[in-house]
Amino acid sequence: MNRLCDSMEPKVMDDDMLKLAVGEQGPQEEAGQLAKQEGILFKDVLSLQLDFRNILRIDNLWQFENLRKLQLDNNIIEKIEGLENLTHLVWLDLSFNNIETIEGLDTLVNLEDLSLFNNRISKIDSLDALVKLQVLSLGNNQIDNMMNIVYLRRFKCLRTLSLSGNPISEAEDYKMFICAYLPDLVYLDFRRIDDHTKELAEAKHQYSIDELKHRENLMQVRLQDERAQQEELEKHKTAFVEHLNGSFLFDSMYAEDSEGNKLSYLPGVSELLEAYKDKFVIICVNIFEYGLKQQEKRKIELDTFSECVHEAIQENQEQGKCKIAQFEEKHLSSLSAIQEESELPNIEKMILECSADVSELFNKLMMLEMQLVEQLEETINMFERNIVDMVGLFIENVQSLMAQCRDLENHHHEKLLEISISTLEKIVKGDLDEDLPDDLRALFVDKDTIVNAVGASHDIHLLKIDNREDELVTRINSWCTRLVDKIHKDEIMRNRKRVKEINQYIDHMQSELDNLEYSDILD
Amino acid sequence: MEVLREKVEEEEEAEREEAAERAEWARTEKMMRPVEVRKEETTLTQEMLRDLEKKLSEIQIPISAELPAFTKDTIDISKLPVSYKTNTPKEEHLLQVADNFSRQYSHLCPDRVHLFLHPLNECEVPKFVSTTLRPTLMPYPELYNWDSCAQFVSDFLTMVPLPDPLKPTVQKEEKVLPKKYTIRPPRDLCSRFEQEQEVKKQQEIRAQEKKQLREEEERLMEAEKAKPDALHGLRVHSWVLVLSGKREVPENFFIDAFTGHSYSTQDERFLGIESLWNHKNYWINMQDCWNCCKDLIFDLGDPVRWEYMLLGTDKSQLSLTEEDDSGINDEDDVENLGKEDEDKSFDMPHSWVEQIEISPEAFETRCPNGKKVIQYKRAKLEKWAPYLNSNGLVSRLTTYEDLECTNILEIKEWYQNREDMLELKHINKTTDLKTDYFKPGHPQALRVHSYKSMQPEMDRVIEFYEMARVDGLIKREETARTMTEYYQGRPDFLSYRHANFRPRVKKLALSSAESNPRPIVKITEQFFRNPAKPAEEDVAERVFLLAEERIQLRYHCRDDHITASKREFLRRTEVDSKGNKIIMTPDMCISFEVEPMEHTKKLLYQYEAMMHLKREEKLSRHQVWESELEVLEILKLREEEEAAHTLTISIYDTKRNEKSKEYREAMERVMHEEHLRQVETQLDYLAPFLAQLPPGEKLTRWQAVRLKDECLSDFKQRLINKANLIQSRFEKETQELQKKQQWYQENQVTLTPEDEDLYLSYCSQAMFRIRILEQRLNRHKELAPLKYLALEEKLYKDPRLGELQKIFA
Repeated sequence: MNRLCDSMEPKVMDDDMLKLAVGEQGPQEEAGQLAKQEGILFKDVLSLQLDFRNILRIDNLWQFENLRKLQLDNNIIEKIEGLENLTHLVWLDLSFNNIETIEGLDTLVNLEDLSLFNNRISKIDSLDALVKLQVLSLGNNQIDNMMNIVYLRRFKCLRTLSLSGNPISEAEDYKMFICAYLPDLVYLDFRRIDDHTKELAEAKHQYSIDELKHRENLMQVRLQDERAQQEELEKHKTAFVEHLNGSFLFDSMYAEDSEGNKLSYLPGVSELLEAYKDKFVIICVNIFEYGLKQQEKRKIELDTFSECVHEAIQENQEQGKCKIAQFEEKHLSSLSAIQEESELPNIEKMILECSADVSELFNKLMMLEMQLVEQLEETINMFERNIVDMVGLFIENVQSLMAQCRDLENHHHEKLLEISISTLEKIVKGDLDEDLPDDLRALFVDKDTIVNAVGASHDIHLLKIDNREDELVTRINSWCTRLVDKIHKDEIMRNRKRVKEINQYIDHMQSELDNLEYSDILD
Repeated sequence: MEVLREKVEEEEEAEREEAAERAEWARTEKMMRPVEVRKEETTLTQEMLRDLEKKLSEIQIPISAELPAFTKDTIDISKLPVSYKTNTPKEEHLLQVADNFSRQYSHLCPDRVHLFLHPLNECEVPKFVSTTLRPTLMPYPELYNWDSCAQFVSDFLTMVPLPDPLKPTVQKEEKVLPKKYTIRPPRDLCSRFEQEQEVKKQQEIRAQEKKQLREEEERLMEAEKAKPDALHGLRVHSWVLVLSGKREVPENFFIDAFTGHSYSTQDERFLGIESLWNHKNYWINMQDCWNCCKDLIFDLGDPVRWEYMLLGTDKSQLSLTEEDDSGINDEDDVENLGKEDEDKSFDMPHSWVEQIEISPEAFETRCPNGKKVIQYKRAKLEKWAPYLNSNGLVSRLTTYEDLECTNILEIKEWYQNREDMLELKHINKTTDLKTDYFKPGHPQALRVHSYKSMQPEMDRVIEFYEMARVDGLIKREETARTMTEYYQGRPDFLSYRHANFRPRVKKLALSSAESNPRPIVKITEQFFRNPAKPAEEDVAERVFLLAEERIQLRYHCRDDHITASKREFLRRTEVDSKGNKIIMTPDMCISFEVEPMEHTKKLLYQYEAMMHLKREEKLSRHQVWESELEVLEILKLREEEEAAHTLTISIYDTKRNEKSKEYREAMERVMHEEHLRQVETQLDYLAPFLAQLPPGEKLTRWQAVRLKDECLSDFKQRLINKANLIQSRFEKETQELQKKQQWYQENQVTLTPEDEDLYLSYCSQAMFRIRILEQRLNRHKELAPLKYLALEEKLYKDPRLGELQKIFA
C-alpha cells in the first residue's frame, strides 16, 4: 500500500486543503447552507478527517484548538509533529503511515484513543503524557522486545491494545505475557480476554509480576514520602520558619566557618559547643513553633475575613437579583400592555414610563453596589490594620528571639576567646598537655591572630543569624503587602465587573425599549 | 361536702400485682357499674339529676338495702362459681365487722355520708369491697405499667378520648454568632420619627382589631360556657390512687379509670376523699377536705388521719421512713399471709371473684364489641378494633361547627392494614376537599392525594414519596387548565414543569377511539443548576409558547453576577424575496448575554440550538401527555383500590392469615389422619365376616358360633399359608445355591479370579438369606399357635359376639 502511495506526488497540508476538508465534513443541508453563508472558523471544528491525501508532513493545524478527533490515516507521514496545539484531542488516528518513532504527543493529555497501526515503530515510548489513554493500536509495526509491554503498565485506563503483526506477537508466550503484565486489559488484538486466560497468565508469571509490583510499590512509597516532605516544607515556608525546627541554622553557621571548626578542637570547646548548640536549637524551635502558631492565626483571620466578605457579596447579589426579578415581572406586563395598546399617544406614554422604570432599576442597582463598596472598604481596611498588626507583632517577637540567639553567640564568643587566650598562654609557656591539630596550632602564633580567628568565626555566625532574620522579615512583609494589594485589587475588579454588568443589562433593556419605539412608529 | 368513694392502690404490694390488680378492679367496676356510674361532671344534667335522685333515695334507706339491684340481663348467674353466690363464714364475719364499723362510724360522724362497704354483687350477695379485688398478673406487657394499663382499662370500659395525637413540632433556633468581619449594615436613612408614627398607628389598629376579636371570642365563650353545675360537690366518683414508694413511683397520684389519665393529688377537680380501700383493708378519711385534696396526707398508717377498719393487716406508710426494709417485710406478709394474720386480729378473707381473664382477641378488640364512640365538645371520636371494618377503618374524628353537632366541619378517618397503604383520609366539608395520606409502599408511590372529585382534569394535588419514582416526580398539581409537576434528583436537573391547556376543540366526525388531548398553550420548564456546565450555558428556565411558536430561554446566573442571560427564538417559516426558504435570520433569535461570546452570535449555533429546542419541545409535549395519562391511571387504580379495600395480614397473625391457617389446618388434618391410621392398625378381624350378614341386626347364637368358627378357620388358613410361603422361598433359595455350587465345581478350573469372587460373594449372600428364612420359619411355627389362641380369646370377649359368652357363662 505504501508503495502505491510512494509513486504519487506528496501533498502539502495547506489552508485550501483544510478549508475544503472542513467544508466537506461540516454541517449538511440547511445548517450547511448557513455554515457556507457564514464560513466556519477552524477553531470551531471538532472533528477533522484527512485520510488518503498523500500527506507527508503534518502542518498548519495550529488553528484547530478545539479539535477532538483527527484522522490522518493512510498518508505518508514520517514524523509526528505539529500537534502541540491540539490539547483537546481525544481521538488520534495515524494508522497506515511511515512513522518510525513515537514522539510529539507530550501535550495531548486528553487523548483516549491512539492508533498507530501499520507503521514502522520499533519501540513503545514517549507516551507518558497520555494519562487517559484507553485504546492503543500498535499492530503491524516492528516492535520486537517484550519489555515494551512493561512500559504500558503505567496507563491505568488502558483497556484495549492491539499488537498483532509485530515480531513479538510471534513469540510463544506473547498472549500470556501481556495478560499477566496488563491485568486490567479487556481486549487484546480485537478479542476479549477471558477470565480463564487471565488466571492462567497470572499463575504463569506470578513470580516476576510480584517482583515488579514490589518494585513499583517501593517506588510509589518513596514518591509519596517525598511529596509529604515537600508539603511539610511548603507549610513551613508559608509560616516563614522553614528549617528552624532543628539545628539547620546552627549547622549552617558552622558550615562556612573554617576557623570555628578548627577552634572546636581546643580543650573544653567541644563541651561548650554542645551546650551552645542545645540552647540555640531550643530557641530556634521556639521560633518555629511560634511561627506555626502565628501562621494558624493569620489563616483563621484571613478565612473569617473572606467568609464575611463572601457573605456580604452574596447577600448583596441576592438583593440585586431580587430587584431585577421584580423589575422584570413588571416590565413584562407593561410590555405586553404596550403591545395591546393601539393609541399612539398612550403607547408613547407607556414607553416613557417603562424607560423611567429602567432608569429607576439602574439607580437602585447602582445604589446597592455603592453601598457594598463602602461597606467592603471599611471591612477591608479593618482587616488590613489587623493583619499588619499581627505581622508586626510576629516580627517583633521573632526579632527578640533572634536577639537571644545573638546573645548566646556573644556569650559563646567570649567563652571561646577566653579559652583561646588561656590556651595561647599555655602554649607560650609550653605547658600544654594535649596534642592540637597542626592547622589549629598554626593559629596560635600570637594573640592578634587567635583573636582575629575567633572574631572572624563570630562575625560569620552573626551574619548568618542576621541573614535568616532579614529573610524572614522581608518575606513576611512582602507577603503581607501582596495580600493586602490583592484584596484591594480583587475588590476593585469586582466592583468594575458589577458596574459593567449593570450597565450592560440596563443598556440592553433600554435598547429593547428603543427598538420597540421605532417599530411601533414604523407600524 | 362531697361524697367520694376512693379505692387505694397500695404500693406496698408485690410489684407485679399492681397492674393485675387494677385490671381486676376494672372488672369489678364493670360488673358494678350501676352502682358506681355516678361520675364525671361532663355527663348531661338530666342524667345527673336522675342519678342524684337515685343516690338521695339510697341514702335514706338502710345500708344493706341501699344498693340497687344489678341488671341481670347481661350476666348469666348460673355459670358463676359458688363463691359469687354465697358468703363463706369468714366473709359473713367480715360483713358483721363491717356493719359494726359502719354503725360506730355513723354514730361518731352523723353528718357524714354512709360508708360504701359491702355492695351487692351480680348475684345479689353482699360482698365487702376489699374482697372484690384480686391481684392478678396478666400476660400482656402492656398491662404491666400503670399508664398503658389505665389506658386499656379506660378503653375496655367506656369510651375515652385519647390526648391530641398531633404533637407540636420542636422548633430549633440556631443562634448565629456575629463574625469579626461581618460588614456593617447599610446606613439607614429613613426617618425614625415617621417609622415610629407608623408603628404606633399600626399598633392602634391592631389593638382595635384585637379588642374586637377578644370581645367576639368572649361572647362566644359566654354562649358556650356550661351552666354552673348545680350539683357541684355532690357527685360521687371512684378513681384510683397510686401511692409512691414502689416501682420508682416518685409521688402519689390519681388515675381516673374512665379516661385513663393521671392527675396530681393537687388537682382541683378532685374535691375530696371519703374512704379508700385495697384488697387488704379499708380506710376512712378523717381529714378535712375544704381545700380539695390538696392538703391530704396519704399516710395510711396514721390512725388519726385515716381510720382503718381491720387492724394490723397493713401497717406500712408510717413505718416507711423508719424501717428501710419494710418493703421486704411486706412482701413476706403477702407470702405468709395466713400464718401471720392469725397472730393479729381479723384478716381479710380471700377474694371471692375469679381470676380475670382477657383473651387475646378481647385484648386486641379493646373496646366492647370493638367499637367505641366518644363525644367531645364539637367533636366526635369513633374507634374500632383493627380488622373489624372490612375497609380497615380504625378511628374517625368528626368535628362540628356547632355545639349540637349537626353541621360537620371536617372528618378524619384513620385506616390500618390497608393493602393500598392508605393511612388517613381527611374530608373538609366546608371546602369539599378530600385528602388521602398514604404510608410508604403504594404501587404508585403516592404520599398525599388531595382532590375534590375523582374526575380527571379537575383540581387535584398528588404528592409522591421522594426517591420512590424513577422519574423523580414528587408533586403534581392540577387545575382545570394547568398541570404543574415538581421533580427532584433527575439526571437532567429538571425541577419543575408547568403546562397550560386550552379547552378541547370539538372534533367533528372523528370516529377513532383515540383520546382527544387538550391542546397545550404553554410549557414552562425549570432546571436546577448543573454544576458540570458553565452558568451561561446552563438553562434555568425554558418556556415553549406553542401557540406563538416561540421559545424563551433563561440561563442560570453566574455566582458573581446578578443578571442572567436570556434568549428568545422565533420560529417563522417564511420565504424571502427570491422564493428561497429562510432557514435562519438574526432576528429569529434575540438574546441578551451577560458576557457576550463570539460563537453564540453565529447563525449556525443559533440554528442548531433552535433545532435542539424543537426536539425538546416535542419531548416535553409528549411528557405532558404521558403525565395526563398517568393521572388517569392513578385515578383508575385508586378507584379500584377503594372498591376492593383489601387488608394486609401479617404472616404472624395466625388467626387471620388465610394461608397460614390453611397450612395449619392441613397439618392438623395430617395429624388426624395419622392418628386414624394408628387406630386402624388394630384391625377389626370380624368386619369381613360381619359384612356378609345383614347389618344392624343382632346376631343369633348360631350365627355367632358360625362367625367365630369361620373367623378362626380363616385365621388358621392364613397362618398356614404364611408358613408355606416362607417354606417355599426357603427351598427355592437352597436349590439355587446348590445349582450354583454344582456349576462352580464343574467350571472351577476355567474360572477367572473375578468370576470366582462373584461366586463367593453370591454364596455368602445366599447363605445369609437361607439362614434368615430358616429363622423366620421357626419363629412362625412357635408363634402361630399362640396367635391362634389369642384370637380365640379376643373373639370370646368381643361384644358383638356376646351371644357366645352367654352360653359359656
